[in-house]
Amino acid sequence: MNHSADDTIKIRVSDLSFSYRNRPVLKNVTSDFAEKSITALTGPSGVGKSTFLMTLNRLWEDLPGASMEGKVKIRLQGRFRDIYDRSMAITELRKKVAMVFQSPNPLPMSIRKNVAFPLKLAGERDKGVICRKLEQALRMANLWDEVKDRLDDDARALSGGQQQRLCIARALILEPEVLLLDEPTSSLDRRSTAIIEELLTGLKERLTILVVSHYLEQVVRISDRVVEFADGSIVSG
Amino acid sequence: MKRGILEKLTVWFSWAAGLTLLSAVSVLLGYLLLKGHEALNPALIFGETPPLRALLLRERVFDGLFPAVAGTLVLITLSIAWAIPVGISTGIYLAEYAGGRVKRALDAFFDVLAGIPSIVVGLFGFASAVFLHRHFSERIGPCLLISSIALSFLVLPYIIRTTQAALEGIPRDIRLTALALGATRLQNIFLVLLPKSLSGIMSGIVLAIGRCAEDTAVIMLTGAVASAGLPRSLLSQYEALPFHIYYISSQYSDPAELTRGYGASILLLFLCAALFSAAYGIRKGLTHFTLYRP
Repeated sequence: MNHSADDTIKIRVSDLSFSYRNRPVLKNVTSDFAEKSITALTGPSGVGKSTFLMTLNRLWEDLPGASMEGKVKIRLQGRFRDIYDRSMAITELRKKVAMVFQSPNPLPMSIRKNVAFPLKLAGERDKGVICRKLEQALRMANLWDEVKDRLDDDARALSGGQQQRLCIARALILEPEVLLLDEPTSSLDRRSTAIIEELLTGLKERLTILVVSHYLEQVVRISDRVVEFADGSIVSG
Repeated sequence: MKRGILEKLTVWFSWAAGLTLLSAVSVLLGYLLLKGHEALNPALIFGETPPLRALLLRERVFDGLFPAVAGTLVLITLSIAWAIPVGISTGIYLAEYAGGRVKRALDAFFDVLAGIPSIVVGLFGFASAVFLHRHFSERIGPCLLISSIALSFLVLPYIIRTTQAALEGIPRDIRLTALALGATRLQNIFLVLLPKSLSGIMSGIVLAIGRCAEDTAVIMLTGAVASAGLPRSLLSQYEALPFHIYYISSQYSDPAELTRGYGASILLLFLCAALFSAAYGIRKGLTHFTLYRP
């Protein structure tokens, strides 16, 4: 455990290598990521950006044929922790390191059930708490005013941009410390993209955000730091 | 030019195949209705017994199909009740947990199971009944319980395969959604993957219901008889519609009896249609319950 690490560092990745079905995807990636900032991960398709995100919440472990070497430490609740250590429960890690996928993926449920879903997984039964956190998360995702009167409608009836904000609200409801976003605006129009960019800029006050993006203008607009990937390694940033 | 002709031919062939199938089903239904419509009346089911008294089990039906309808319904319910938990659990295991050699071996095993002729399953059921009769209790013989277990073996592959295919067909994004939100593997299966697969699983169950309703080879060896009255217990013999139809078609003594056989066939089709509708209704209700209840 590294207690001497700089207090502003949230994530420390050392010598991270990753392969999928015996094909190397990431090679010796080493980098630190600052707390309460937005880091954009850029680079051509297939260079390992999305895979890199999956190593930060161990989601790759649910893909057959993948293997990883190296260390990832994340400061969680004030303590630097090796997320691959046996003492780290994977479900707890994913509650603190939330992820939003490329295409909006609301579950086939109502808006209310979708956003409250992580609370259900965590065993929360108090309806008062659920309602309060639901409103809080939807407000943080700038979606409350648009859906407050139709919380029991099917989430899939929302527009693409609204669905992606719903997914962000769902990721925020457990009050994570890190938010990973894999090209969150790639399937959205210009207006929805602008809303989500504004939302992310607001969220960095509370969270450490890593966002994979292909769009150079977007990267310049919203990020504090740009990390460029090429051929499985970080080439700049 | 050549490609255009080939495309047109393919379209024509597809249309022709669809139409042939539709006509075959229509001819079959038309033929059955033509031959059996005269027998379609309450007497076909209840004979001389007042229907209400028969339904309330106050009076026994002697010359109607009521015991056979009841026997078929009980048989289907029991067979499906055995097959659903085993089939769905096995499907989940194959799709979510099994890997490598175990999966390949089980896949091959279930393919073999799906290919076993029903008469062989019936023989196995009969042999089991004889074995149990000799070694455990003289009360056990060919009966409702043995028939339903044998039938459940016959339909297990349908439920296993459809469950497996439905689960494996779920896109990666949906599969990872709940896991990324902190779900355990089991929570993911029960809260997301299974509700999402209900439609596919239910089509397997519908197929299984149809198979249980129509199968004659298994039940004629394991407990169905021409006259037994209403099924009294799991260890009793019983009457069933497909066996009744088989029996009449091979041994009818006058044209009126044959007409009743056609009537029984129409009744079996109605029964299947009613069970299919019930299965779809349950699927809709269950999907709504699992995914949308507040």
